[in-house]
Amino acid sequence: MLGRGLKRKLSDYEENMAGLSSAFDSSRNLPYPLKRQLVLNMCLTKLQTYKMLVEPNLHRSVLIANTVRQIQEEMRQESSQQPINVCSGIAPNPHSYPGIDSSGISLHLPSGSSQQESNCCNSWFAEGPIENSLLMVSDDDMSSAISSILKDLDFMEDISPPTALVPAGDDELLKSPENTCLKLEDDRQDLKGAECVFGSFEISNSTSYLKDLAIDDIFEDIDTSMYDSDFCSPLLMAPRPPAAATEETLKTFPSCNSSSTNNIQICRTDLSELDHIMEILVGS
Amino acid sequence: MGGRAGSVGLAGLFGAEPDRVWALAGQYGARLGPALRSLASVGGGAGAGLGVRSAPWGLSWGCPRRSPSPRSVSAGVAGGGGGGGSNDFQWCFSQVKGAIDEDVAEADIISTVEFNYSGDLLATGDKGGRVVIFQREQENKSRPHSRGEYNVYSTFQSHEPEFDYLKSLEIEEKINKIRWLPQQNAAHFLLSTNDKTIKLWKISERDKRAEGYNLKDEDGRLRDPFRITSLRVPILKPMDLMVEASPRRIFANAHTYHINSISVNSDHETYLSADDLRINLWHLEITDRSFNIVDIKPANMEELTEVITAAEFHPHHCNVFVYSSSKGTIRLCDMRSSALCDRHSKFFEEPEDPSSRSFFSEIISSISDVKFSHSGRYMMTRDYLSVKVWDLNMENRPVETYQVHEYLRSKLCSLYENDCIFDKFECCWNGSDSAIMTGSYNNFFRMFDRNTRRDITLEASRESSKPRAILKPRKVCTGGKRKKDEISVDSLDFNKKILHTAWHPTENIIAVAATNNLYIFQDKIN
Repeated sequence: MLGRGLKRKLSDYEENMAGLSSAFDSSRNLPYPLKRQLVLNMCLTKLQTYKMLVEPNLHRSVLIANTVRQIQEEMRQESSQQPINVCSGIAPNPHSYPGIDSSGISLHLPSGSSQQESNCCNSWFAEGPIENSLLMVSDDDMSSAISSILKDLDFMEDISPPTALVPAGDDELLKSPENTCLKLEDDRQDLKGAECVFGSFEISNSTSYLKDLAIDDIFEDIDTSMYDSDFCSPLLMAPRPPAAATEETLKTFPSCNSSSTNNIQICRTDLSELDHIMEILVGS
Repeated sequence: MGGRAGSVGLAGLFGAEPDRVWALAGQYGARLGPALRSLASVGGGAGAGLGVRSAPWGLSWGCPRRSPSPRSVSAGVAGGGGGGGSNDFQWCFSQVKGAIDEDVAEADIISTVEFNYSGDLLATGDKGGRVVIFQREQENKSRPHSRGEYNVYSTFQSHEPEFDYLKSLEIEEKINKIRWLPQQNAAHFLLSTNDKTIKLWKISERDKRAEGYNLKDEDGRLRDPFRITSLRVPILKPMDLMVEASPRRIFANAHTYHINSISVNSDHETYLSADDLRINLWHLEITDRSFNIVDIKPANMEELTEVITAAEFHPHHCNVFVYSSSKGTIRLCDMRSSALCDRHSKFFEEPEDPSSRSFFSEIISSISDVKFSHSGRYMMTRDYLSVKVWDLNMENRPVETYQVHEYLRSKLCSLYENDCIFDKFECCWNGSDSAIMTGSYNNFFRMFDRNTRRDITLEASRESSKPRAILKPRKVCTGGKRKKDEISVDSLDFNKKILHTAWHPTENIIAVAATNNLYIFQDKIN
């Protein structure tokens, strides 16, 4: 193992990752897609960590994002060469792929049916415990990494079909086999997610703070129990910091159809009036 | 006057054969240096015959650019171990500065090392924003064989931590780079920079003070004017030497991103500062204006794929500078071509070797340092695993490539995981451009002789810190059976990294920064 010098406390995740990167370096039997997946996981985790820093290192972020792009490009080329054989990483079978992919990054396996998927998965797991831990360890962290990157997608101008945005932990959407064909779009989303890491490097860094702050959060402390809108109360009451997730939730509600956007604007207009009224009442 | 003819002539002066002259020169460098310099200036041709290359700061008499014979002394690098013959010299320990504690305070970590133009002063900057300058003691006539030691000359706090209120960010006080200005009067000037602000410091000596003021008495208290009955002229009296450092210029608010390089121009009036995306040109006298000469920031930050990692002015042509990128490319720009040098004059890139491609290829190709040779004909770049020497006239590949620690190539994933892959190693030339040096892990540093193609690995450690102890070459075992005294790759300490090294401009003295300690090594004199 590397590094004798200073001791540091490793979280479980870090310990797993350290073991995995050693496995990457020393093992020749590790299949290439698995290696690629490991590197991709590490990259996204690092990007996630950097985003949480007050001032991320631009040089490192660029290098990591380029690596992510390169891997995604490779995956995209592979999938475009084998369109039929793309196996959904979102396996309906709960016994296969406990790890990878509620978030849209998927492994490629040369199989077309779910039955074969299971077989392939089993053969994968036959590789050994290291590969198992690889698949299993990064689930939650990957999801959170991707979801935070997806959060930034809120600010991208590109509009994608709502079903392509996969909220973390929402299993209902994942079970749909139609999601297989959306994997490519997921990749593009992640790619854009990686790219828009740099959005926060703009000169006015303070605007990243403003971007993260959803407009709805501003109104969260306003008591809206008197306000009788069916559309907006779930929006306001839901304690969901990511604006993207909030928007998505809104979109998936049956009561909020294509006019949901208008409803939101109506809500906001009314809320600003309410705010104004409150100010007068409070006399501030 | 050709090389041979000149050296025979000079050898004739010493009554010795030409090869012997080189051997003598190597071993008694310190004493012969000034003598040779004066000979060269008087004799004109003799100096040229020795292959002395003139440099702005004085004649560098080092070793000839092309060795007259394979046995001749290569003044640039140590020979290996014992059997090198009497002509080869070896590196030995001279001094170490810094605390011995195992517990290293973050603020004490050295972040830059730089000799001045004469080599008499050695400056270090640390993470705590302090600059420590060492001065070489004048040689002692009674001990002619011992070289001058470096002792503390001045210490001052260059940068303080700052808080950017607009962005709610703390600006680190770590000194990223120090660059000396050529000396023009009794005082010394240097530029030091942190992430955002560059400062010009004047270091001056005071060894006299005035006594006999009229309006104040000796304690400094003001005298009552009515009590003064006679006037006197103050006289200067010697005092203990005091070295003062004062900031003369502060160049601030010109960089949005983190400054990684500063470089003084050969006109000695301007300098450049480079951050991740922009390079600015300053005049040393003017602090409220700078000219932006390179800007690679894309209109849409999401399209950003490349950042600037280092920049340097050409040592002789004041209109030429280079900057390196995170993609392993170097661009040479001519400021005469346009005000904004976004379009390069030359583009240096080595095509990638497809057989060594990996996920980390781009990351390890990122250039961490670029340095022109003293001659100005070559430049050297350092990426994660190698050092490359480029001829400025050839853009498509380097002329020389040296592997620093190729055994790390199979460990890249682990090094990526613990962020070591992002370590920025620097590199440096010796005075005659015949040798190059760079650092590695486990407190190892490597030297490469460009002429003999020999390389050596040495270690900066307290264990080999006895005065004038010869440094033993080190070897990393890459596989198979580990020999005695070899160290295996997995035993390397990746927290002990030598990122900053400096080579004396004219002599074989090197300064190596190992975390919080500064090691000074010199070549051995019989």
